[in-house]
Amino acid sequence: MDSEDYVYDSDADDYYDYSSDKDYNNEDDKVEEEEEEKKMDNIAIGDYDGETRSNKKAKQSYIVLKESDIQQRQENEITEVSNVLSISKAAATALLLQYKWSVCDVQDEWFADEERVRKKVGLFEKPVFLLPKKLRKVELTCSICYENVRISMMGWVSCGHPFCRECWEKYVSVAIEDGVGCLKLRCPEPHCNAMVDRDSIDLFAKEEDKERYSQYLLRSYIESNKKYKWCPGADCEYVVEFCEGGEKEYYDVCCHCSNSFCWNCMDDAHRPVDCETVAKWQLKNSSEAENTAWMLVNTKPCPKCGKPIEKNQGCMHMTCREPCGHEFCWMCLGTWKEHGEMTGGFYACNTFQKNKVEEKYNEAEDIRKRAEKHLEKYTHYYERWAGNESSRKQAVKDLKHMQKYYMGRLSDLRGATEAELKFITEAWLQIIECRRVLKWTYAYGYYLPEDGDKKAKSKRGFFEYLQGEAESNLERLHHCTEKDIHDYLDKKCPDKEFNNFRAKLSGLTTVTRNYFENLVRALENGLEDASSQEACSSQEACSSQEASSKIKSRTPIKRERTKGKRRH
Amino acid sequence: MQASRARLFKEYKEVQREKTADPDIQLACDDSNIFKWTALIKGPSETPYEGGVFQLAFAVPEQYPLQPPQVRFLTKIFHPNVHFKTGEICLDILKNAWSPAWTLQSVCRAIIALMAHPEPDSPLNCDSGNLLRSGDIRGFQSMAKMYTRLAAMPKKG
Repeated sequence: MDSEDYVYDSDADDYYDYSSDKDYNNEDDKVEEEEEEKKMDNIAIGDYDGETRSNKKAKQSYIVLKESDIQQRQENEITEVSNVLSISKAAATALLLQYKWSVCDVQDEWFADEERVRKKVGLFEKPVFLLPKKLRKVELTCSICYENVRISMMGWVSCGHPFCRECWEKYVSVAIEDGVGCLKLRCPEPHCNAMVDRDSIDLFAKEEDKERYSQYLLRSYIESNKKYKWCPGADCEYVVEFCEGGEKEYYDVCCHCSNSFCWNCMDDAHRPVDCETVAKWQLKNSSEAENTAWMLVNTKPCPKCGKPIEKNQGCMHMTCREPCGHEFCWMCLGTWKEHGEMTGGFYACNTFQKNKVEEKYNEAEDIRKRAEKHLEKYTHYYERWAGNESSRKQAVKDLKHMQKYYMGRLSDLRGATEAELKFITEAWLQIIECRRVLKWTYAYGYYLPEDGDKKAKSKRGFFEYLQGEAESNLERLHHCTEKDIHDYLDKKCPDKEFNNFRAKLSGLTTVTRNYFENLVRALENGLEDASSQEACSSQEACSSQEASSKIKSRTPIKRERTKGKRRH
Repeated sequence: MQASRARLFKEYKEVQREKTADPDIQLACDDSNIFKWTALIKGPSETPYEGGVFQLAFAVPEQYPLQPPQVRFLTKIFHPNVHFKTGEICLDILKNAWSPAWTLQSVCRAIIALMAHPEPDSPLNCDSGNLLRSGDIRGFQSMAKMYTRLAAMPKKG
């Protein structure tokens, strides 16, 4: 056959020349996009300003982004690679996919050895399969459906292997259906490595498949980038970008969906406790370990079959469940046959008493006592931890309820604008945040060393004092926000009193916020202040008092400052 | 559904026309169901399978050729990549490396190639794989030859 007949000519026909009109972005477009990006950043930060103030310090460390923001960034990176390498955007996308969305890696590899990269990714510079020239009417056999199809009704990627459009559509559709693997789809020809890039997907795929494809593309972008993480909140579509930096990292993040979480471990936000402690604590809560401790305290094993038995009532004469059926004495665990009137009747066991005197039971008893003590401690902390969590959830509900039913009424009644009533919302948000912090102080307390040297003791004393104060501070705020407000939903109440209420509640919110901020800082510093306090006094009460004066002296100053700000 | 049937019908006609083109492969479609096929393949020469005839069973999915057919050996065979009991085959083109441009005929060819070049590193038959991996070529060959003789050759007399 004449070789002239088999020259691939992309200019021959407008129709299947889908590769030539790929838009190489010109400089103007790029500048425009960069400006857009800047604008977007401003908006993102601006949005964030409206969030609760307790997170203000962390302002620099993260940004909450919408899906469209991310899409824009992705598009910018694709455009950049496309411009620098002078390749189509679709090819740039394929390259970025291969190199986990690292623009640097793509450029380094490409300029080091373009040919190798092209081979690896499957971007052919020239087709390996040559089509008959200028013969639109020529029919070829599609090697998927085995039908003879006109070339004009066929399609191919950079390798040139032709398949009919119907088969292409199905091929692409099945791949997209199959999942994220479709991002690295290859030409259907056996052993052909040519990439089916985004342009080809756009050309061959159905509308709904295209949509899914770009979703996969976005997901791959976010998941390969260490800076981004999805908010784990239910149905939340925001992505959080974390900017590392600063000496000590705090990972608490508050998403626009009002879900706060730790960017590092993806658990709920847990300042002042670190991720490790949280993991330990959560494991403890879920593990069987605590059940074991309970069993140790409350049950005894049947001396014959070894099954644990809980005695909840009745006499000392135990009968193990069938099929064991062993009868024994609960006190001494000896067989019941040897018991009776002469051992002291059904409710006592002389054998036990005698053995106890002889200290035969001491070891087992000791273990049980220790386990009991441990369980008691754990239950103490767990109950308060869980209690604060449910309180927090309730507060979230209450806030929503209040916004839905009371805000409008209050606004009408007092002739106050929404902005003027913002202090109520702020109080609620503060309560929610405080409940969260307080909750975690119980996990903190559980792991704080119990006994030991003076330093440890004073730390514990200091901690308990701080926690107690925090609790009562919060209770005051919670009460005022929850209960007192009902007085002002009544028409009779004069405006002046309402103004007093506003001043009181704003003040309480500020005080509580400052107190909790100091608390978080103190705990994060490992209660170092306690030891310096300790130097002058060995008594717990004294050290606590000094600590309290320290904390209290801080508060009014801050309060002054915020008040001053508000007036301006 | 229609597309897979049409394609299988084309393959059927192709097989009828070129019956003698490849003497090592005899493909046949089930009389009543075009989605069930069987094939007889000859064991490649200079392998322990030489002289044997092995039967394969194809179950073709409705998504064919976008999805690969399921193929297994009906004849017992001692091969690292074939399950000794079920006849299941571990071959990349039947799994993730499938291409819709493959045909039942080309699958048979690939299986013959696999018989000649076993991949002991991804074994379905561990005994067979271990013999090869430990370098006991003679042990492997004599086992494979024995099973070929027992299962894949017509009984003499």
